[in-house]
Amino acid sequence: MDLSGAPYGSLGTLSGPSITIQELKKDRISFILTETDLSVANSLRRVMIAEVPTIAIDMVEIETNTTVLADEFIAHRLGMIPIDSTDVERIKYTRDCTCSQYCSECSVELTLHVKCTEDRTKIVTSKDLVSNNPQFQPVVEDKNDQGILIVKLRKGHELKLKCIAKKGVAKEHAKWSPVSGVAFEYDPYNKLRHTHYWIEEDAGKEWPVSGNAKLEAEPNPDAPFDYNAKPDRFYIETETVGSLKPEDVVSMGMKTLLDKLGYVQMQLKEELASHQQDQTGWSY
Amino acid sequence: MTFSLKDEDHTLGNALRYMIMKNPEVDYCGYSIPHPSEAKMNIRVQTTDRTSAIEVMDKGLQDLIDLCTVVVDAFKAEVSNGDFEYDEDAVWP
Ligand SMILES: [Zn+2]
Repeated sequence: MDLSGAPYGSLGTLSGPSITIQELKKDRISFILTETDLSVANSLRRVMIAEVPTIAIDMVEIETNTTVLADEFIAHRLGMIPIDSTDVERIKYTRDCTCSQYCSECSVELTLHVKCTEDRTKIVTSKDLVSNNPQFQPVVEDKNDQGILIVKLRKGHELKLKCIAKKGVAKEHAKWSPVSGVAFEYDPYNKLRHTHYWIEEDAGKEWPVSGNAKLEAEPNPDAPFDYNAKPDRFYIETETVGSLKPEDVVSMGMKTLLDKLGYVQMQLKEELASHQQDQTGWSY
Repeated sequence: MTFSLKDEDHTLGNALRYMIMKNPEVDYCGYSIPHPSEAKMNIRVQTTDRTSAIEVMDKGLQDLIDLCTVVVDAFKAEVSNGDFEYDEDAVWP
């Protein structure tokens, strides 16, 4: 491989990776990533699940809670509610902010006050949360969406609280994950034998091939095993929780990966510069 | 030479290991996470004497950046191209 030439593409090809989108819906995207290595495809999967930032409720101050659920139980439920994070880039991480606890630059405040005064059950949902920033509202799927149920009240029950939503990543807590699942498959016919099927009698009958198998040539059962073959076609389907658009989850995932790499590269340069000034550190 | 990367994991480790290993001047590259509850990733590089581990690491990072840039551009081109099944208002399932 020529070091100055195109460095990417698996199996020595210089064409480089490519993407084909198969389907794009409101809350999911499915695409095929080709001509790249398993490690790179897996990095994209991991980064979409755990390192794409979103906004989620992180602190709850409860003023009144006479409902059947305990304070911490309600606080936990509030944390899981997806909040529209389309403009997440406008919010800072609190750790990067100049304020001491939280402010409008690094948080969104949502309040909730519901009291049941009638003789029938009243439901408290994510629609009862009132945001102080119209860009960051609890996700509503469509006009028929009644919101996410938080708690049910009987006559006399009251819930009054203030929530502080912050920017974060799912590496810290899963509530910040923009996705509810990422389907990841390669080699649907198991030609590479990366999977060992547990079987009763016949693997072909007990393990039907996935839908992605339609997109690949059926292997010849008499063909010898190619132990040099490497996966280079990845079928990925991302389903969001609604806080970000599926296409944005993928591009923000790649951006997060690029930012990490850039940061490490910069740190390496700094480490090298400080070492050249001061020879007391590590040595070759 | 072993590089110790704070707050990094398999996401960066495995892809970077692959990219560095592609460099023909590299004899060995491997990574490990010594303990699951310590947010730290070690990556070891051994090169031929025509280059140095630091140079190879820098090149590995740059190559991976270039690769990711190609993926981002390919993805954005594909989204704006719009040649796929698209249904904005469809509700899951
Ligand atoms: Zn702040």
